[in-house]
Amino acid sequence: MPSNFKNSTVKIDNEEKMAGLALFTDDLPAKDFLWCRPLRSNIACGRIRSINIPKLPKGYYYIDARDIVKENVVNIIFSDWPVFADRRVNYYGETIGLLIGPDKEVLEELARMSQVNYDEETPEYELVNSQIHKEFKKGDFEAVTKDYDYTLTETFETGYQEQAYLETQGMIMWLDGDKITIKASMQCPFYIKNAVVRTLGCDPEKVRVIQPAVGGAFGGKEHYPSMMAAQMATAIVKIKKPLKMIFDRGEDLMYTTKRHPSRTTYEGYIKDGKLVGVKAHVRLNGGAYKGCSGVVLSRALIAVIDCYNVPNLDITGDVYITNTMPTAAFRGFGSPQTIFAFEMFIEHIAKKAGFDPVEFKLNHLVEKGMVTAVSGKFHDDIILPELVERAMEMSDFKRKYKEYSQPGSNRGIGLSTFLHGCGFTGSGESTIINAQLKLTKDENDIVHLYTSQVDFGQGNRTTLKKVVSNTLGIPEEQVTHEAPDTDHTLSTGPTAASRTMIIVGYLCEKAAKHLKEIWKPGEYQEWIEPYVGPDYIHWDEDTMQGDAYPGYAWGVNVIEVSFDPITYQIKIEGCWSTYDVGHAIDDRIVIGQADGGLAQAIGYGYLENMEVAEGRFRQKTLSDYIVPTAVDLPMMETELIDNLFAYGASGAKGCGELTFVGGAPALGHAIEMAIKHDIHKIPANPEYLMEVIEHGKY
Amino acid sequence: MENISFYVDDKEVIIDVDPSTRLLDVLRIKLHITGVKEGCGEGACGACSVIVDGVCYDSCLTPVANVIGKHIITIEGFRNTSQYRIIADAFADFGASQCGFCTPGMILNTYALLKNNPHPTEEEVRVALSGNLCRCTGYNAIVKAILDIAENGGDIEW
Amino acid sequence: MVNHHIPSTLQEALKILDKHDCYIMAGGTDLMVVKHQRSGLIPNFDKDVCYIANLEELQYIFEDEKGVHIGAGTKFSDIEDNELVPEILKQIIHELASPNIRNMATMAGNIANASPAGDSIVGLYLLDAKLELVNIHGSRMVPIKDFIFGVRKIHRNQNELIKEIFIPHHDDLNTYWRKVGSRAAESISKITFAGGYEVENGKVKDLRMAFGSVSITVVRERKIEEKYIGMSLEELHNHVEDIVMDMSKFVQPITDQRSTKEYRYKVAMNILKDFILTIE
Repeated sequence: MPSNFKNSTVKIDNEEKMAGLALFTDDLPAKDFLWCRPLRSNIACGRIRSINIPKLPKGYYYIDARDIVKENVVNIIFSDWPVFADRRVNYYGETIGLLIGPDKEVLEELARMSQVNYDEETPEYELVNSQIHKEFKKGDFEAVTKDYDYTLTETFETGYQEQAYLETQGMIMWLDGDKITIKASMQCPFYIKNAVVRTLGCDPEKVRVIQPAVGGAFGGKEHYPSMMAAQMATAIVKIKKPLKMIFDRGEDLMYTTKRHPSRTTYEGYIKDGKLVGVKAHVRLNGGAYKGCSGVVLSRALIAVIDCYNVPNLDITGDVYITNTMPTAAFRGFGSPQTIFAFEMFIEHIAKKAGFDPVEFKLNHLVEKGMVTAVSGKFHDDIILPELVERAMEMSDFKRKYKEYSQPGSNRGIGLSTFLHGCGFTGSGESTIINAQLKLTKDENDIVHLYTSQVDFGQGNRTTLKKVVSNTLGIPEEQVTHEAPDTDHTLSTGPTAASRTMIIVGYLCEKAAKHLKEIWKPGEYQEWIEPYVGPDYIHWDEDTMQGDAYPGYAWGVNVIEVSFDPITYQIKIEGCWSTYDVGHAIDDRIVIGQADGGLAQAIGYGYLENMEVAEGRFRQKTLSDYIVPTAVDLPMMETELIDNLFAYGASGAKGCGELTFVGGAPALGHAIEMAIKHDIHKIPANPEYLMEVIEHGKY
Repeated sequence: MENISFYVDDKEVIIDVDPSTRLLDVLRIKLHITGVKEGCGEGACGACSVIVDGVCYDSCLTPVANVIGKHIITIEGFRNTSQYRIIADAFADFGASQCGFCTPGMILNTYALLKNNPHPTEEEVRVALSGNLCRCTGYNAIVKAILDIAENGGDIEW
Repeated sequence: MVNHHIPSTLQEALKILDKHDCYIMAGGTDLMVVKHQRSGLIPNFDKDVCYIANLEELQYIFEDEKGVHIGAGTKFSDIEDNELVPEILKQIIHELASPNIRNMATMAGNIANASPAGDSIVGLYLLDAKLELVNIHGSRMVPIKDFIFGVRKIHRNQNELIKEIFIPHHDDLNTYWRKVGSRAAESISKITFAGGYEVENGKVKDLRMAFGSVSITVVRERKIEEKYIGMSLEELHNHVEDIVMDMSKFVQPITDQRSTKEYRYKVAMNILKDFILTIE
């Protein structure tokens, strides 16, 4: 059967990617470019006493903190991460300098001969040094603790996760006159540009960032390319030669940012069949520098009770600094950690208090008009019950749930319900990002759309263009939407935070409407549309109070597993999902996000184990860091239900992260049913399940 | 260094190269066939797949000495065939390519599978692709696309 | 200076090996990983390399009255597809590495690499396989268990090459195979187990148990197996804990980036019990 997708067009870049014609960073012509080879710290913590670089052959260079032009910081949300380690190192693998030259073999030899002497200090790997603290309350939590029927306290852990995009990090940089020009595997061209401008203190006009084909990102290319750009820019202003830095897989696994490991404790109170109060403490391991961890913590805390209504809350969270690789953006950005933990917790407390866990949690689903965890309001229609009902039908949930709950069954089925806030937190879209979108029309009436959105597989080059052509009522071929070039586009903001459709798509629609109004055939015309969000959104980041997001997308995942009691292995037998993404601009593309997001979440839930030993990741290859293969996954079924959002293009909200956040808890519930024990940790790999089953490990 | 000769996409290639050089590096760096991708460098991802005398190899683990005299098909040759068109159209229809980095390897492995077994089961498709990692699609659309070819492809000459 | 030798006949290869201490490159799927430096750089070989992947004389499978002969250069995928090959080896190969690697790699390479996690080796131990080693002067046959003596340690003389793997016929042996990897495909084994048995008139006529990834080499103890041969099925089943106890001395796994020693031990024993209790 052909796919029969409705409202779907073939992606702009589809053919060039399938045919191997698309040029990714390492494919770009780069004759005479010099290779950059990072010299990295080989201890986790200490003062640098001396750096001894061997005598460099002609045409070879060494660049480090002493070469910094203006500021030795990488421009990330909290700018504490140095471009080059200066006098001290804070994690194993921190970049001390760049060895640069034409021959990789020579660079390897120079790296081997280079010697850094340290005064080593005792590294901290435990979660004890909080550098970011946030807290908020709702209702009267204290009162609840004095009058209740049942209480339970539990702690949940989630591990590191590696983005494992198939294309590793890479960047090329050259001087075009006196303009620094950059092509790289990236998510956010303007982040890279701003990072270069900041470390060099140069005129923004002197930096240009152009996006080539990008082989996956998932958050991993949101901030790290800024680091590479700042390092290479420091070098290029000194040596004035074109540069290239491509990471091998091992480097990418060991020395780029991962998802934050977490440990979350919940204390819940039930009274008269309702979960009336929750106290939570969310702990994130931020690694050696804060970077974007404060925002990750915010988003983790906002999602701390998922999509359930709990009237009384006492919530705290901390980011701990440790001497490990800094953690940063990854699809979900904090919420997968707390949504996993709370989904498990609400079922545990319900079960232990004598309720049917699924019925109990569904009785707590939020509804329109209710107060959010952070005392904002759910302004829009919520169709969760409909999503749940359909997902249950698709999966034959009720029958299987009853059957697999019986003693002796080695099968399990789990259901998670969840939300994801789309766009930057609170009013950040209007106050911080200030996206502006440019639409032009040439004399041939071809419309040109300019965004800074990177298409690293999600299909947004196609969908945003489609929004414009649909709105203008012209054929798609009459609209162009090239990959971003900071010289040609205004900043429509980063490609992150599930903001592409809800924010930029909305901008595209508004701009196209305006262009339509002033349309004059045969004339060049230009329209610039600034983002204006819903005026009812007010958020206070300091107190963590208010409307956390412009809008929410919703979802339900059902996962079925079987369990092998001999090997403690889990097999995924079925996956069914329903989502409210507002409205899909292109069904095929949204379903693609759903399939990929859930697959990655399943990996997070039971396969993808990444551990640190003495400050270093133990899984250094894709043979040891295990992501799902085609054999590990079954066919996944997904349905979308429309629920139009007033501030999105044709009602569209976000879908990139939504499709990730519910997978691990649905899998977690299924595993618990199959093994007949509670779990408190992901990845729930067979080693952990054996400890749970055989030794009653928590 | 030695003179080593083989065929790439039906053209004879003679190069002076260290025989232990990875076929991947010969293809990408010496012959500028950048449609062949490097994803992991250790045979764990399949992005560097090429067809050598009719079967798929990981070119990152193949010393060029091992392909002396052999016929290699890369995506850059395969994309001109009618078989490519059939696979690519099905991939497009189902949305089987997202970021596209794994796709050339995925397409060559699909071809190798269908050549041997024109009507594979879902299980056979999954096993045939089990060395090709994809981080975007969850394999759903890829498997569906191949099953669609298997079901509706009739008597295609693979 | 490292030299690369690309012989076109077996005789030529043996002459090269007689003169030079070489890495022997078959499919390359292990050596090219071990010797890899960085993308774009040639592998880091510290001595000569002799390439044998294309020696047609080493690519064959045939059987005679004694057993099946597999040429050292035969690729895994060709072995898997061949009807002469014992079922358990096909099963093992089907789950080994990835399809591409099975197209490239050879069983002799898996043997010579002598990794404790080499899957095919476990099956060969179970089937009492022998290796034919050749040099310019002649050849010798060695049981596989005497050939491998440690992690990546084998008794190969510098001038020798594995020419053939010989697997004696086991027409009446029932087999059992379990691979525990970190995912359902393309995984390096955490534990493997190959079992074999023959039952005649309700009595155990043969019993074989081989574990991979639980010690420095494959674990198979004929003395222990013999203790239980001759028992009735009921007796055998009643002795399952004794068998576990006997084998436990030899099953000594480690903790590494892929698993823990506790898990490996426990699961190895679970599998052993499952094997014994399912013998009928």
